[in-house]
Amino acid sequence: FTEMPTDNFVESSFWNFDALFQPQQHPARDQHDTFFLQDPAEAPELPAGYTAKVKKVHSQGGYGSQGYKYEWRLEEARRNLLRTHTTSASARVLYQLARQEKFSPVKYFSIDRVFRNESLDATHLAEFHQVEGVVADRGLTLGHLMGTLRQFFTKLGITQLRFKPAYNPYTEPSMEVFSYHKGLKKWVEVGNSGVFRP
Amino acid sequence: DEEFNELCFEFGLELDEITSEKDIISKEKGEEKAKGASDTVLYKIDVPANRYDLLCLEGLVRGLQVFKERINLPRYEKIIPAQGEGQRLIITEETVQVRPHAVAAVLRNINFTKERYDSFIDLQEKLHQNICRRRALVAIGTHDLDTISGPFTFTAKAPSEIKFKPLNQSQEYTASQIMDLYRTDSHLRHYLHLIENKPLYPVIYDSNGVVLSMPPIINGDHTKISVNTRNVFVECTGTDITKAKIVLDIIVTMFSEYCEKPFSVEAAEVVYPNGKTHIYPELAYRKEKVKPELINKKIGISETPSSLAKLLTRMCLKSHVTGNGNNIEIEIPPTRADIIHACDIVEDAAIAYGYNNIQMTIPKTYTIANQLPLNKLTELLRLDLAAAGFTEALTFALCSQEDIADKLGMDISATKAVRIANPKTAEFQVARTTLLPGLLKTIAANRKMPLPLKLFEISDIVVKDPNTDVGARNYRHFCAVYYNKSPGFEIIHGLLDRVMQLLEVPPNEENGYTIKATEGSAFFPGRCAEIFAKGQSIGKLGVLHPDVITKFELTMPCSALEINIEPFV
Repeated sequence: FTEMPTDNFVESSFWNFDALFQPQQHPARDQHDTFFLQDPAEAPELPAGYTAKVKKVHSQGGYGSQGYKYEWRLEEARRNLLRTHTTSASARVLYQLARQEKFSPVKYFSIDRVFRNESLDATHLAEFHQVEGVVADRGLTLGHLMGTLRQFFTKLGITQLRFKPAYNPYTEPSMEVFSYHKGLKKWVEVGNSGVFRP
Repeated sequence: DEEFNELCFEFGLELDEITSEKDIISKEKGEEKAKGASDTVLYKIDVPANRYDLLCLEGLVRGLQVFKERINLPRYEKIIPAQGEGQRLIITEETVQVRPHAVAAVLRNINFTKERYDSFIDLQEKLHQNICRRRALVAIGTHDLDTISGPFTFTAKAPSEIKFKPLNQSQEYTASQIMDLYRTDSHLRHYLHLIENKPLYPVIYDSNGVVLSMPPIINGDHTKISVNTRNVFVECTGTDITKAKIVLDIIVTMFSEYCEKPFSVEAAEVVYPNGKTHIYPELAYRKEKVKPELINKKIGISETPSSLAKLLTRMCLKSHVTGNGNNIEIEIPPTRADIIHACDIVEDAAIAYGYNNIQMTIPKTYTIANQLPLNKLTELLRLDLAAAGFTEALTFALCSQEDIADKLGMDISATKAVRIANPKTAEFQVARTTLLPGLLKTIAANRKMPLPLKLFEISDIVVKDPNTDVGARNYRHFCAVYYNKSPGFEIIHGLLDRVMQLLEVPPNEENGYTIKATEGSAFFPGRCAEIFAKGQSIGKLGVLHPDVITKFELTMPCSALEINIEPFV
């Protein structure tokens, strides 16, 4: 797995949400969960052609999808924030991959800081780190995803795994990964995953 | 309980907690208050954000029963009344300014019991919070049809012209008075701002001028429904027509179960300002065709087309095999507004198959792994700095304004810091432009540890930069501090030399590094130097000014070094 560049804490809503098919009215974009920036408040530059495609998919659909059918606003996508997940870096990297002349399969990873606007308590911090992995190739299946996750967690010493259906705006199917914690004597969530929507 | 937990897990729901009313009150208010509360077991279930049809008990049970193949998915029918007999909702053009869209339907001859009634009210609240985005996009109103007579008018009027008795109040109020009345209400005050400053407020009247409701704030008392209500008029108003339609569909499909003719909904006609009419609810059934190979391929299983069709039917997506057995036709019911692409169908097939039944395989993709050069450099430096006797720290990237400016003797405008618009506490006002405050705060929290305290951190700082596409960028900084009875400038200087040695940068001016004496607001005058390498200034080192030390609540002398390591990648 090759390491992705993630050295930008400041991200635009476009890369953090819109390019990942998260609708502009989604609660996570609310003031409560995201750190929006006062200064610089807006991203000066967004990729023009790609932005137009994202707008169309949200408002009208495309690539086989019905879309969300709402009015997509550019100002909302320009709003700067502190990234809420490293998937925004994955989105940038996949965009670069798409612009290559010839497709080559890739495996990417990153481990870096993300920010969520939450009150601090025993299990929540406003800043924490995420480990992220992306595999892109022809003919990948849900079984491959599960296999990769199983290998990854085995290397961390976690072997008892179960997968549960979940929901992410940008992946379908999505799975939450659960592992049995011998100390707590129950299944705890150790990860989230999914196959990116076409 | 175990069985139900398993079922939820398989289906994609999370059984959060098994509790009872008594337990809940005990936890919140103490055991005394819980006496007499119900002991019946309550399940708290977490429903995914895109499944509006599982938000009420009726929908949840229906979904699970179809999943377990105990019942067949009901067919929701729209009954269009004979000409002139149906209900009509007329929208006037004034609403365009404040809340343009409205849809309506009727639940005829419905049978409520206390539980069903509570569930009905509960679903409206849940939908309000979820898809309606706290009533901003859509607001739901349900009315006892027998207390009013159509045709109904949805219009907008000045606040002073609207007067009615709101739900559960004893007298009439004008709209402006209602705003004041609910300003302190813990529940409703959050919605007042949606229409408060508009010149006209939305309002729905019946043909006799009785107010049904003033969306999105409150319904009229006159039309309130009770356990004895037999005919319900449902209306949804809002700013997003797609969502209004979905919300209406969900409410009527869920509760039409209790109508005399189960799962049948009486349609209503909506008349637009331009004269066009539309029948609601839409209750659209959409047909999609998906190839079985696609589903098998995407999941990594190999099921026959007929077994795939059976799996999908279990997920409320009625399917059957068509063509020469090489295609599956799926009917998407109005309750599944979350199905917008073939991949949604693939996911449902996988869920029905059982995620944990899928064979795990490794992708045969061959790739060469690479580490990001910046991170590789950071890792190498980390190990050697620890070997030099310094301890690594990991601190927060967000801090208060004083931390990076006032406490270091600088003005905030000179720092080019990135500022947060909505911090929850003062501790998260800006993103750090230097690693120094983090390390000093770490020392302040560890004063009881034996001296000397030698800390370092290699991490990102954030500054505004007009040259990037978002307007800011990260720089990888390395910072070290030495805290002891004597400042130890020579130790910090020695550390710099060691780092340069590791980076293979010679100590000369032409192609290496030099240090020049300088003044720094955070440093002791005469004990500060600027470090130059690769043709640019990369940082400073020196003894910290006593003011800085005091402001961070420290008592001993301290020397510090901070450089940008990106030029060395």
